[in-house]
Amino acid sequence: MSRVLNARWLTSWPSWAWNKVSRFRARPSSLLDPSSLSLASIMATAEQSGQPEIDLVQQMVAQGRYSLLLRPQIANNLQPAQLHAAEEALDANMSCVPAGPVIMRPRRFEDLDDQELARSERVVEVEGFFLDRYPVTNEQFLRFVQEGGYEQMNLWDANIWPAVLGFVDTSGLCGPRYWKHGHPTDNKLHHPVVGICWYEAAAYARWAGKRLATDPEWVKAGSWPVVAEGAPPQQRRYPWGDALDRSLAHVWGSGEDDTCSTRSHEKGASVGGVHELVGNVWEWTSTSFGVWDLANLKIETATPMRSIRGGAFDTYFDSQCHLHFQSGESPLARKHNIGFRCAVGFCDVASYETNSEQEAAA
Amino acid sequence: MRASGQLELDSYRLAQYTVSCPCYICGGGNNFDAELCRHCYAPMALVHQANSQKIHPRMVAAIGSSGAGKTVYLGMLADMLSKGRDDLQLLARGAFSIGLQERTMASLARGEFPAKTPNEPDRWNWVHCQILRKKLKPVELILPDLAGESLLEEIDHPNTYPVIRAFLGKCSGVLVLIDAARCQAGEADEDFRAMKLLSYLCELQADKKTGWASKAVSLVFTKADQCDHCFDDPQQFARRHTPGLYLQCRERLKRHAFFAAGVAGACGYRLEGRGRIHVPLRIEPRGVVEPFHWLLDEVAR
Repeated sequence: MSRVLNARWLTSWPSWAWNKVSRFRARPSSLLDPSSLSLASIMATAEQSGQPEIDLVQQMVAQGRYSLLLRPQIANNLQPAQLHAAEEALDANMSCVPAGPVIMRPRRFEDLDDQELARSERVVEVEGFFLDRYPVTNEQFLRFVQEGGYEQMNLWDANIWPAVLGFVDTSGLCGPRYWKHGHPTDNKLHHPVVGICWYEAAAYARWAGKRLATDPEWVKAGSWPVVAEGAPPQQRRYPWGDALDRSLAHVWGSGEDDTCSTRSHEKGASVGGVHELVGNVWEWTSTSFGVWDLANLKIETATPMRSIRGGAFDTYFDSQCHLHFQSGESPLARKHNIGFRCAVGFCDVASYETNSEQEAAA
Repeated sequence: MRASGQLELDSYRLAQYTVSCPCYICGGGNNFDAELCRHCYAPMALVHQANSQKIHPRMVAAIGSSGAGKTVYLGMLADMLSKGRDDLQLLARGAFSIGLQERTMASLARGEFPAKTPNEPDRWNWVHCQILRKKLKPVELILPDLAGESLLEEIDHPNTYPVIRAFLGKCSGVLVLIDAARCQAGEADEDFRAMKLLSYLCELQADKKTGWASKAVSLVFTKADQCDHCFDDPQQFARRHTPGLYLQCRERLKRHAFFAAGVAGACGYRLEGRGRIHVPLRIEPRGVVEPFHWLLDEVAR
């Protein structure tokens, strides 16, 4: 369905989007390449050619940026059909995780005695949120790269600006470390993107109108705590239960020694329908490494690390790929087995925000 | 103990004592029931197995300076191959051959590196195994976990450890382990130590056709997970960070190859007492089998 460019909606567009348009104007070659058709190029083309009927909303939904459309300040300006399309995309691509408690455990909780374990466990209340059903794939990340994500400095933490120029692929172009000439290999389009540092993951999430999940959010989405009256939440060790089944996840010994398609283990989903939480690639979270450890068991690292969770295709021990195991990596590391997925809070999604307000009022 | 307090004469035992049992490693004579060779401290089980099963195991050594990661590498390699998920499969011969794998994996699973290999040869772990290869003949191998300090001591003061000299003299190939993280940090001692080891080997058997110049040498940069680009091109890494070793290999060794390997994805330090203990944050073996696979192909050729 085509849509008339809504001037009111465009005025509410964040300033960085306009920065991007002007940047692409300065690089007309990108507009000539059909593969680089993107929101920015379309907006620029629409402005220049006076064809406002190009459907920006559909384009954004196709790019996986539907959660930007669902921001309360933007959603109010959308037509119902457009809002519906964005909500459908949200439901299809993200799993809804309700608010509630989750128990966070230290790294080596299995070695602790009951007293120490009780002392070290922390119950964290998590707000309701949406989590990507699958890790971000090479194909999805390619859209970000083609949109000029590495050139939009507003997407990046200011302290990392000097390093952004160094985030290049094997041919020296902007992109994940193992890509070539700005592209992933064709047979890996549906594999999770790897070779990206924590800052690249965070920049992609911002571009998509999302954010990285926190540790408690990530654990809650997989372990799906059930709160029984008068008892601590009961949590799963793996998304499907309490024992590792190598046919349900891609860890060492269960397949090839490389990443696999994010759709390879459909049966290994969590209760809420989140896939590939365990195995295939570790996933960056926004939490710092070691925050759940007891003071006497803290691990020092040369540089502050970010938390990674879930294990990867080469994770050797069963005890290191369950939902409660935390490892860490330098936020600038671009490893072959670390990817990410994004989250967005209920509070950042218009319909859910309105619903919760109504519920509160009722 | 018999009621009379006397033992019956076991004539067959006496007969066995009269025949000297040569150690498989150093060839020195021992009693038939000795557990370790009294000359070099290698396990006598090696010779008993060779005799009873009528096999002649080849020998491969993993050498390197102290802390280069020999124990972790060999333990991890043995565990990976014994799970049979690669082209190579390892079948341990004798219970003693599983000790190294058992101790290494127990430590890594606890989130720790295994304790340093003691310098005393009688406390070293030896692995005698059969390596099964797809569509190829199985290979019988003996692989000891030598202590790095003992190796360097033997090099500086020959015959301090007769077992090392005897074993390296009989080896068909060698894995030289070099700490990549230290090399990248600019610590030249890794380069010097690796050069010493190679010089020692070349002097030990100097013949150009049958000596170390023509034997297979697999050079493995360990801890490469701490300097990721080492995986991209280990030879280039060697040229940049261990120029002496690179040149020596090029000039002296006909059959050599550089590899990169890592076992821990990342490392940190745990405070214990007044010191800090180096601990792995996760275990994700990478490039562990390839150097051994190459060496085995070369040795079995």
